[in-house]
Amino acid sequence: MDEIIVLEQVNKFYGDEVVVQVLFDIDLSIKSGQFTAFIGPSGSGKSTLLNIIGLLEAPTSGKVSLDGQDISGLNKGEQASYRNEKIGFIFQFHYLLPEFTALENILIPHWIGKGKPPQEIVGRAMYLMERIGIEQYGGKYPHQLSGGQQQRVAIARSLINQPKIIFADEPTGNLDSKTSGMVMELLKEIVRENKTNLVMVTHDRDIAAGADRVIEIVDGRINCDFTAGRMGREKVRQELEHMACTFSSADDA
Amino acid sequence: MRFNTYEFMIAYRFLLNGRSQTVLIILGIAVGVAVQVFLISLMDGLQRNLIQRTIGSSPHITIAPPLSAPQPLGIGGGVIDDYQKPLKTEESEILSWQRYGEHLAGIKEITVAAPMVNGNGYIEKGRSSFPVIIKGITLPEADVIYKLKKNLVNGDLRPGGNNVLIGVASSEKSGLQTGDTFYLRNQKGTGDYFIIQGIFDLGASAANNMVVMSLDRARTFLDITGISAIEIQVHDVFAADGLAKELGENFGQVKAESWQERNKELLSGLRAQDTSSAMIQFFVLLSITLGIASVLAIIAIQKSRQLGILKAMGTNDKSAARIFIIQGFSMGFAGALVGILLGLGLTELFMFGTKSSGGPTYELKITLTNILLPAVLAAASASVAAFVPARRAAGLNPMEVIRNG
Ligand SMILES: Nc1ncnc2c1ncn2[C@@H]1O[C@H](COP(=O)(O)OP(=O)(O)OP(=O)(O)O)[C@@H](O)[C@H]1O
Ligand SMILES: [Mg+2]
Repeated sequence: MDEIIVLEQVNKFYGDEVVVQVLFDIDLSIKSGQFTAFIGPSGSGKSTLLNIIGLLEAPTSGKVSLDGQDISGLNKGEQASYRNEKIGFIFQFHYLLPEFTALENILIPHWIGKGKPPQEIVGRAMYLMERIGIEQYGGKYPHQLSGGQQQRVAIARSLINQPKIIFADEPTGNLDSKTSGMVMELLKEIVRENKTNLVMVTHDRDIAAGADRVIEIVDGRINCDFTAGRMGREKVRQELEHMACTFSSADDA
Repeated sequence: MRFNTYEFMIAYRFLLNGRSQTVLIILGIAVGVAVQVFLISLMDGLQRNLIQRTIGSSPHITIAPPLSAPQPLGIGGGVIDDYQKPLKTEESEILSWQRYGEHLAGIKEITVAAPMVNGNGYIEKGRSSFPVIIKGITLPEADVIYKLKKNLVNGDLRPGGNNVLIGVASSEKSGLQTGDTFYLRNQKGTGDYFIIQGIFDLGASAANNMVVMSLDRARTFLDITGISAIEIQVHDVFAADGLAKELGENFGQVKAESWQERNKELLSGLRAQDTSSAMIQFFVLLSITLGIASVLAIIAIQKSRQLGILKAMGTNDKSAARIFIIQGFSMGFAGALVGILLGLGLTELFMFGTKSSGGPTYELKITLTNILLPAVLAAASASVAAFVPARRAAGLNPMEVIRNG
């Protein structure tokens, strides 16, 4: 299947008494094997969109298909299994379980989906940890790790079930720029290695410039959408420079 | 409900992580269970004690002809009016008692079935006469019921011919002692001389007013062709009721009366005690349930972040709920185990205490039901209590957690 994500006329409203529309008739299709970055001002609806595609939230109307499957019709339980098998999440706040060690945290998605991980899966977790440079922290608890280390554990966790898509909402938003760059490089590499798709929300111009496709959301609508392949990375960077307004919060992020 | 292994893994990790909370709630359950185990054992022991003292030395079931109402010894001590039943029929006496005896011997529940002859008479001494109950017995059957041998004040248990035993009350009233010969008159006015072989003390005043002789001697003395009653003791005193009913239906011509029918007041007293201990148990359980519910509710709130993450990673609502059910049940189970041990310890301590202080020693009844019932109830109520946080966990939207950090 060529299109990994297809959105048709997706709308999202919030609130019961005061109803606010956050997303307006979003039509979007994302090709397989790409790194897609969503950018846009704060409150524009990036996270909402990401969570809808990631089955964490339901659209008020419209259709979402992942990997050729219409997921709008799945019930809550089916959505949960789908998230477990096909989707990896990396959040801004690393959201590790404090009761479990780094290695245990990485293995939890496997526990949830298939029960006790066999040696082969533990081996995979070890490999992932080694690959992103946290192999010596497997037995440590999250509170014993730095922010960057925790985020790397979260990356390994998002990959353990070999998901089709990884959704990352400002995964480096909480890290200093050096650590952030390092984590991003690792993420991109490992995503490529694992042949999975990466969809990311970011406020970081440099990160966005490294994406295959950049989609700007403003006030719940797609404002700008360009693909690096066609225009070249330098062009994208220049484009992004011009669109300074949308990175209003980039520097303080 | 199908449980997944990871639900146990997460539940136990949560419990281990909140160690002091977990220990506290387990202790709370344990104390509740211990109190119940002790209370039930105490109540059970006291009741059995009371029943044993009331009916231990008297028949549990009395089979008697329909026209007579022979009162068992020790309770009531009523009278059979021989003058009112001149005819020897199955209605007034048990004529074919050997036949009944054979039937009764075949019933497992029955420890002993003893033929009895009852009647009234007077000890004549000088110008005075003292009314007594005349009882004809066979040995060793009657001794199993009345424990005469054990309760002999002096003399021997060797009734036969004109050798008899008399109760302490009769002995004191008449001044007769072991070895004395006295004149005993029946209600028809005829009489004979008897020799006292021994004196017994059965505790109850009516029973201590008896003259006990052999069954055959009593039959001729009281002019009874058959016997007055068959008195029965059974293994399980509480089964006497049912067995009596069964026997009554089987025999048709005679009536079978259980100790329960004769001791309605005692039984209703015991029942009131049962009700009050059931109420105490109910409230102990209620407080256990509420305690666990509130602690688990707190844990559910404390863990909402973790639940949100787990749900984002594919834990479904039912699994999230089960994680809390497992926690509730596990704490209930652990609490019940500890509670059983505590309760047994408490019971032993109580028995040791009453024994060493020289007070009345009650054998507290530690039965499997007495232990398992409160434990199972506690574990069950802990699981029920867990439904409150479980529902919360099931309803939690992972977005709440993920959006708000
Ligand atoms: N549960 C909710 N109820 C009501 N309004 C909501 C809710 N969640 C989000 N919103 C609103 O929806 C809009 C879009 O929010 P969203 O989180 O998608 O923005 P964003 O683009 O991710 O912003 P940021 O860059 O600050 O993360 C915001 O105005 C926000 O206030
Ligand atoms: Mg956001």
